[in-house]
Amino acid sequence: MTRYMPQAVRKTGLILFPAFDWCITPDHPEREERLLYTRDQIVEEGLEDVDGIEFFNPELAAYADIDRVHLCAPSSKALLTESHLISAGGAVRAAKAVMEKEVERAFAIVRPPGHHAMQTVFGDRGFCVANIEAVMVEYLRRHYGVRRIAIVDTDCHHGDGTQDIFYNDPDLLFISLHQDGRTLYPGTGFQNEAGGPAAQGYTINLPLPPGTGEEGFSMVTDRVVLPLLDAFKPELVLNSAGQDNHYSDPLTNMNFTAQGYARLNKAINPDICVLEGGYSIEGALPYTNLGIILAMAGLDTGNVREPDYDPQRFVQSALMNGQIEGICQNALEIFAARKKWDTSVCRGEEAVERKSIYYDTTGFGVDQVRHYKLCPDCPGYTEVEASGAGELLHGFTVPFNACSRCQQAARDAFTRAAKAKGSREQVVLQDRVADIYETA
Amino acid sequence: MKTVGIDVGGTNADGVLLEGERLLAKAKIPVDHDNLSGVIIALLEKLLGDSAGEVDQVHLSSTLCTNAIVNGEMDEVGMLVQAGPGLNPEFLDCGENLVFLDGAIDHRGGLIQSPPVAVVDAALADFSAKGLQSIGVVTKFSHRNPQVEQELARKAASFPHVTCGHNLSGLPNFPRRVYTTWINAGLKTRFQQFSEAIHAGVKRLGITAPLSVLKADGGTIPLERAEAVPCESVLSGPSASVMGALALTPREKDFVVLDIGGTTTDIGLFADGVPLMEPYGVTIMGRPTLIRALNTRSVGLGGDSEVKRTADGYVIGPQRHGVPAAFSEGKITGATPSDAMVVLNRMEGNRERATEALHLLLPNNPPEETAREVLLTFGHNIKLAVDQMVEEVFARPVYTVSALLDRQRLEPAEIIAVGGPAEALRGELAAAFDLPCEVPLNYEVANAIGAARTRPTLSASLYANSSDGTLSIPEIGLHEKIGRSFDMKDAEERLAAAIRHLAAQAGLEGELPPVEFVEREEMNTVRGFSATGKVIALKAQVQPGLANV
Ligand SMILES: [Zn+2]
Ligand SMILES: [Zn+2]
Repeated sequence: MTRYMPQAVRKTGLILFPAFDWCITPDHPEREERLLYTRDQIVEEGLEDVDGIEFFNPELAAYADIDRVHLCAPSSKALLTESHLISAGGAVRAAKAVMEKEVERAFAIVRPPGHHAMQTVFGDRGFCVANIEAVMVEYLRRHYGVRRIAIVDTDCHHGDGTQDIFYNDPDLLFISLHQDGRTLYPGTGFQNEAGGPAAQGYTINLPLPPGTGEEGFSMVTDRVVLPLLDAFKPELVLNSAGQDNHYSDPLTNMNFTAQGYARLNKAINPDICVLEGGYSIEGALPYTNLGIILAMAGLDTGNVREPDYDPQRFVQSALMNGQIEGICQNALEIFAARKKWDTSVCRGEEAVERKSIYYDTTGFGVDQVRHYKLCPDCPGYTEVEASGAGELLHGFTVPFNACSRCQQAARDAFTRAAKAKGSREQVVLQDRVADIYETA
Repeated sequence: MKTVGIDVGGTNADGVLLEGERLLAKAKIPVDHDNLSGVIIALLEKLLGDSAGEVDQVHLSSTLCTNAIVNGEMDEVGMLVQAGPGLNPEFLDCGENLVFLDGAIDHRGGLIQSPPVAVVDAALADFSAKGLQSIGVVTKFSHRNPQVEQELARKAASFPHVTCGHNLSGLPNFPRRVYTTWINAGLKTRFQQFSEAIHAGVKRLGITAPLSVLKADGGTIPLERAEAVPCESVLSGPSASVMGALALTPREKDFVVLDIGGTTTDIGLFADGVPLMEPYGVTIMGRPTLIRALNTRSVGLGGDSEVKRTADGYVIGPQRHGVPAAFSEGKITGATPSDAMVVLNRMEGNRERATEALHLLLPNNPPEETAREVLLTFGHNIKLAVDQMVEEVFARPVYTVSALLDRQRLEPAEIIAVGGPAEALRGELAAAFDLPCEVPLNYEVANAIGAARTRPTLSASLYANSSDGTLSIPEIGLHEKIGRSFDMKDAEERLAAAIRHLAAQAGLEGELPPVEFVEREEMNTVRGFSATGKVIALKAQVQPGLANV
């Protein structure tokens, strides 16, 4: 506007949509009140008047945008409410704002989150139904031809859904910083989870000990995240900006701060951020969100502190530092040994992966077998069979970077499976090259 | 009921005398910006003659405060500001005497830490030594908890004037609160002098009717009350023209009001017959404020705008060309939309000179055709500006799923145009918008009529947190304890009472226009895993509208 308000160094878009009329249940962490205090802080700061910070309303994602990513049982229409479409649409709006050059950076502060939603979706998992980053990624690829993307997931919980969706994609580098899975939901994200057969070393997990603070996060950022981003050379860097690493979060055990989040964001320098978790709704979120916004916009973050912030409280022990150093070393070795085809894990024409997936919100399990089909020219298509909650799903997925032979092979396999299908079974062809979602 | 409306513009001051809706008399005199009260008194004298005693009320729209800000003629203000965590507040630019105080209030209005006493005392001593008369005090989140501002105001009570941020608006937005407070405190002396001069002049003329001034929000406020909140009278001109258009052509649909002048066109929007408001307030001299205002835009398109011809077509404005060829003598240096209107015989003027101006603009085109093209471009450019405004209104942030799904874009059904060139542009405007365009009778005094016909407006906001047990209505400085059972119905009652309190404070007698409640927010609060209470936010307002006559 003028010199009477601060001027953003980088034009930054905000999709601030707190969905004050939506909750999972009234006393659930994912309730109406969650972003109330964040909205109040952002508005009181006058960010709407800061030159170079633009506010956008979310749009509604189309079911086709969801179906490009997920295989939903019984269907995306049956599982997703308007609120989910708005949350995903908020992420899509952020991507559009950047790609259409309305802004240089964008941050979707939306809810519900998405990073626990896997490729197959039978219900709500860890507060997530649709993986909003993944929806955004495939949208970017479909509509803007973006190929290489890095996602840095800084939520305190392992981004198991995002990992699952892009596990076999060598054009997507997924780095997750999280509290060690032995001590926190969802209990995964160990360093040996390093990618599917076509993308070994493109999933990098950094499980951090409970109590990790600014020092530990700085160490993994400087030693692992930044060098890997440099080496991978993505066209876009996305940040799943969960804020439950905060020292006041009620669901986790970490020691991170608003100052730390601001510095982390400055270092990673993401093109697009999407809010994930973060449930210290009064003591953390107003400050961590503000810190991230100001960092993205290139504004001074020095004054963004929790009212009770005292740096002395967050000194890490030498033991913990040593532990984190070891994790960094492992991660660097995994990435250094990355390769696009690891035939040692394959038997014959495919590699097989079995998973049991627990849906915590309503409490049921899904058993899943995934077949990664080998191809010398592309990551290959995948076949997945998953059953649970009375649903039987049989899907064939052609990734966006598949070759035409794999595309045809998946179509043939789908046709055969559709002919042979049982009465309860739903057979799906998800072809991201042709942008087709067909069911039988 | 006999009402006088006065509108002081940039060049002329217009006055009207109305009996009910009927126009009894109108008058116009040139403006002397150094003596606005004198201009107003002279205009009243010219308008009323011997019948001054019969007038029932007088409404003034004056440029006094706007000019004082634009010309930097405000009082030096001693500012005490507590920012707390957040944006680095160093950008705040309000004079030499701005002191930042440590301490904080949080987003729920919780007092984290009071400002340090020694720093406050030293600052006030310094302000006093410098001879400052006006003090402004502002904290972040004072709309949720005014206690720190109130305490600072008590400490500054020995100064002739103190403005507290929370009294001016219950809206959030700390930088705007700071600028609003600074502007209000800085206008104190000038406005007081103006008010005294008006009172004296009116007395001399024998006018005994109550005096009100027009606000930017399309409402009025009694002159005595305005002495405490002079900032409210800033930028009342566009609100006079919007309300004037409503008075001349009342209707209940979506429509657009255009006040086309020599240099600029002011645009106002109506939804279902009610003027749209700015979400926060006016921006003046680049400073965003919380001064409630109608949603208006001023674009650099007017009868005297400079017209240029480029490879892309005609470019009109935003610069003013000066007096159009059709109305001046001497060398013709350029063309204006007014020249085009004269060439097409839609306006009186020297047609020969106007034709020559258009010929110079585009030598190989018949001047009549150039004239038509220029005016079509004018209409088209206005349409673009209106479209952009409509889009901005549609794009305002919403925070609930239902609000997002229910959003509707304003769909104007008619254009109302006032101002000098309005009649001459009617066809082009109708064509550009593909809508009927009306130019009402008496449009040349629309602003004065708007000033005359406007009724008072009031607003107040409430924030209650029954989990913390606190209630705050900043506009009346209220901050008190409430019980767990406080609900939306209680909130409505407390706010209605606050509006009545504000009305009494403003000296408004008789029945108030209906109070409406807007922007309801109600959310359960959960701590740990159990419900602890509710957060309730609510606003009440008396909308701008026409007074019953
Ligand atoms: Zn989380
Ligand atoms: Zn292939």
